[in-house]
Amino acid sequence: MAAAKPDSNFSPEIVALYCRQCLDAEERPQEGARPAKGFNARLVMLPCSGKVEAYQMLRILEQGADGVLLVGCPENACRFLVGSRRAEKRLTHAGQLLDLVNMGAGRLALKRAADLTTADILALAGQLAERVKTLGPNPMKGDSL
Amino acid sequence: MIVAEWKPIPELLASLKGHKNVLLVGCATCVAECAAGGEREVLTLAPVLKMGLKDQGQEVNIITRTLERQCEPEFVEELAEIAPQVDAIMSLACGIGMQLVAERFIDLPLYPGVNTTSLAIREQPGLWTARCAACGDCMLGETFGLCPVARCAKSLMNGPCGGTRKDGKCEVDENTECIWRLIVERAEAKGRLEDLVKVRPSKNWSNSGHGGPKRMLREDLR
Repeated sequence: MAAAKPDSNFSPEIVALYCRQCLDAEERPQEGARPAKGFNARLVMLPCSGKVEAYQMLRILEQGADGVLLVGCPENACRFLVGSRRAEKRLTHAGQLLDLVNMGAGRLALKRAADLTTADILALAGQLAERVKTLGPNPMKGDSL
Repeated sequence: MIVAEWKPIPELLASLKGHKNVLLVGCATCVAECAAGGEREVLTLAPVLKMGLKDQGQEVNIITRTLERQCEPEFVEELAEIAPQVDAIMSLACGIGMQLVAERFIDLPLYPGVNTTSLAIREQPGLWTARCAACGDCMLGETFGLCPVARCAKSLMNGPCGGTRKDGKCEVDENTECIWRLIVERAEAKGRLEDLVKVRPSKNWSNSGHGGPKRMLREDLR
């Protein structure tokens, strides 16, 4: 999708799917809507980022979210060995499909990190939100399956 | 398994132009194994089509179903309740399953979501290679279990041809093994190289696709 003129009133909705193994040992897992400055975040905890399928990311966008953030472990630190690598392949596949229908692969992002706090995840979601602002609101907003 | 692959997305979007309610139906057998038309692919394609059509200014409702087998009437019948709610069907099954659905729901336009390409195995994760051409006169017993009809670019009955590359690959495709080289190697390993120089009766090609549509009749099963 062509870059849209940033709308100062546009507050992107970002769904952050994060691997629970990325969390700091002291951090209590958080889920659901979280307030954030300049965007809205919804956190979803996963047993492993490799659990995510391409269709799940596509469906989240089809239902109107403006961006999907996938947070996985560093590549060589996945507890299930290949989980975060699988996640990357699936996200790439979903992105290719989004490009084909002019939605823009830029609405998807993968970040790899360890020992995260909820605030860290929200900060990563904020980075995606800034990128999504240049793409504009999801044209599917308001639709549902 | 029967292998298929998605048609290009723009072609799929063009075929659904003007439709408001579409049934996207997959098959949980062969096309699921080759990641083209199983439940996962149905769930992947549905939002892609919906977003693509929205981009073209068209709202569409897509109902998804995945049948156990689209090539069996008993399973296709499961769609009877949904069919009145849609104005088109897109099938991700092989050409066999698609035709059965088209025949059962003759008043609805049916669009193929995939191209059926081959009878193949999953050689590696994400790689499928042809193994059978359904030629109707199997000669695997004479070729040490390796099919030259499906796996030789020229379907040679006596190979290898002169085009085998130095690394043993086919001259037509650098990623494909010369199957006749493999046949010879397997014959050598079994100490039966002499078998390959025996004169064999001509292959019966009349039972292949060249003889018109195939029809198999078993009176004992009727």
